[in-house]
Amino acid sequence: MLNIIKTTATSVAALAFAVTAAFAGPYDDYKGTTLVVSFPAHPHYDAVMKVLPEFTKETGIKVEVDQLQYLKMRQKQTLELTKNKGDYDLIAYVVFSKADYVYADQLENLARFFMNPKLADPSYDADDLVAGYVANIGVAGGKKGYLPGPTGSLFGLPFGSETSVLGYRKDIFEKHGLNVPKTYDELLELVCKIPELEPGMGGLASRAASGHHASHAYLLHLAPLGGRIFDDQWNPTMNNEAGVAAANALKKIVSCGAEGAATFGFAEAGASFLQGNSAMFLDTTIFAGQVNNPEKSKVVGKVGWAPHPVGVRAASQTGGFGIGIPKNAQNKNAAFLLMQWLTSKKSDKLIAMQGGNPSRYSTHFDANVNAKFPYMSVFGEALKNADPDWRPIIPVWGKINADLGTTLSKILTEGLDVQEGLDGVAERTKKIMDDAGYNTWK
Amino acid sequence: MDVVKKINKFTPYMLLAPAGIILLLALLYPIGYMVYASFLDWSPSQHIGQAEFIGLRNYINLWNDAAFFESFGVTLKFAFFVVVLEMIIGVGLALLLDREIRGMSVLRVIFILPMMIAPIVVGLMWRYMYHPTVGVFNRTLKEWGFESIPWLSDSGWAFYGVIIADVWQWTPFIFILALAAMQGLPRSALEAAELDGAGEWQKIVHIKLPLMLPVLIITLLLRLIDAFKVLEVVLIMTNGGPGLSTEILALRIFRTAQEFQELGYSAAMSNILLILLMLLTIAMFVYNKIQENRASKMCAMIEKG
Repeated sequence: MLNIIKTTATSVAALAFAVTAAFAGPYDDYKGTTLVVSFPAHPHYDAVMKVLPEFTKETGIKVEVDQLQYLKMRQKQTLELTKNKGDYDLIAYVVFSKADYVYADQLENLARFFMNPKLADPSYDADDLVAGYVANIGVAGGKKGYLPGPTGSLFGLPFGSETSVLGYRKDIFEKHGLNVPKTYDELLELVCKIPELEPGMGGLASRAASGHHASHAYLLHLAPLGGRIFDDQWNPTMNNEAGVAAANALKKIVSCGAEGAATFGFAEAGASFLQGNSAMFLDTTIFAGQVNNPEKSKVVGKVGWAPHPVGVRAASQTGGFGIGIPKNAQNKNAAFLLMQWLTSKKSDKLIAMQGGNPSRYSTHFDANVNAKFPYMSVFGEALKNADPDWRPIIPVWGKINADLGTTLSKILTEGLDVQEGLDGVAERTKKIMDDAGYNTWK
Repeated sequence: MDVVKKINKFTPYMLLAPAGIILLLALLYPIGYMVYASFLDWSPSQHIGQAEFIGLRNYINLWNDAAFFESFGVTLKFAFFVVVLEMIIGVGLALLLDREIRGMSVLRVIFILPMMIAPIVVGLMWRYMYHPTVGVFNRTLKEWGFESIPWLSDSGWAFYGVIIADVWQWTPFIFILALAAMQGLPRSALEAAELDGAGEWQKIVHIKLPLMLPVLIITLLLRLIDAFKVLEVVLIMTNGGPGLSTEILALRIFRTAQEFQELGYSAAMSNILLILLMLLTIAMFVYNKIQENRASKMCAMIEKG
């Protein structure tokens, strides 16, 4: 009798346990796990740090963050990812690293996580993620190897991504009755008109310093003016008509820029705009956070934002960071849960409210977010034209980028002829591409 | 008996072994690693074992790399200018200050201050001083009614700008070594010269400088080696620009490894730099040896009468 009672009691208990397990929350199995994540020192991730405790409270999963300056972060990741057992469960990576990490088979394909019903949240709404960002930062293996396409798959999610927007001085534009430029023709006319109207003030503050700064500025103009670094057959095309037009645009912008414009890096160009020495600023959205900070800016309340002007096509940059799970991570499922949580609608908004860069359209148009950051909806509009192919993401790009950047600097400061300079870059690029095997099939 | 003999024979080697092993591990292993790496096509995402062995291709590519030659030229020019200027100013200052002046010790400390500042800070400091609008140089020039100078935005000026910063930082090094050498000079020789009626200038040219020469040569060598390797100040001030006008070899090596992710290629460049510095060092030692031999021959001749 006693045995029967015992068996029944055990069965009931087991059944009850099984039922609870079946309806357990998605995070229960991972409660108490400690995730180690690698994040850069970057305004977006500073905002994330403020939101992270919320995740631990909600899920019971602890998160230890290794936050480093982004080049340092990259160096450390490079070491970590080649180990058999890595320390990092989730890493943030700058978009260039996508090519290296995926090619070296160091990032998990996310398909198996999104296929797992216990991990994937059905209300995640991936359609709401900014398409250009996902294509640029998350997908590899499709068209040209680094873009989406029938053969591509997902290796990361955009997190702390950015695009380009035009910042302008509302007061200066109103004073002289100027219209905010919508096209490149209007923009280029205006950049040299402003120093005439406001002596001592530069037209547009742009990066131009030798190396990746000059190259970045050039690429910002190249895509809207109809150019590309390569055609679909990997032939260098930066020296065609559109390429020359982009270099001439940069040359004009720098020549009508504030004093010393030819040596501006991102920081100097930004400072020139914040100090009121330049009337416009065309660069990343991440900059917007500083404009109304009275400690850094003399133009508080005087800046308006508009989408990147349109040339032959509307194309703003895509860049910044994404997050992915290393192949050698120890807690991949929990890392996926964190990744999904961080990029969910709820967290995207929380992070945006703390000053981060949202990755979702809905956050850009959210009323609360716009009440705090009124420019956000303009950014949301600009993002519809975010161009994932504004620069190639291939392992040899660093070398081509440096050559392009130094040549452009020679064009800007040493009077090198635009066509001649770009022809030289194209020729050297062809050699680099030959060596790297891109012309094997020709 | 035999065993004892054998042990005795090996004892010196055993005692030397720890030092030898440390030398091998700490010095030769990393250099060997670098030499080996220069034969590989190696990206930082790979283990060294996964990298492809490509023989001499990195060196052949270097031979055809116009940018490498341009930075090699910039390095030679930079090293020549900074070392010559620093030697002249450093030794000159030492000659001027080698005397009893009140507050001399304070003055000496002030002189060697630049050397104690971290290179990154020196780079930042000069970069802001050269700033086109808010920098102290251009502001002063404007106040005096002159045109401002494109310090770092013109390739010619940028090169001199970098040289000035380096001279500012490293002249004190030559100054303190020259001063120490000067204070160690035998007073008897100087007194003898004075008795013979030598003037100040004659004393400097015929007594002080020749006697200081061995120290000066070592100082020159040390500075030359350093000048070939300078990185941080240039990296911060110009990042090699405008164009490639200030891209010295160390910076090119750094960028090749960091930006282009080509570890093998940057190892090959480092090896070329290493060979160049070795040649310089050997040349200096040979010169020293010749000088010593000549001196000992002279002594022998004097003794013979």
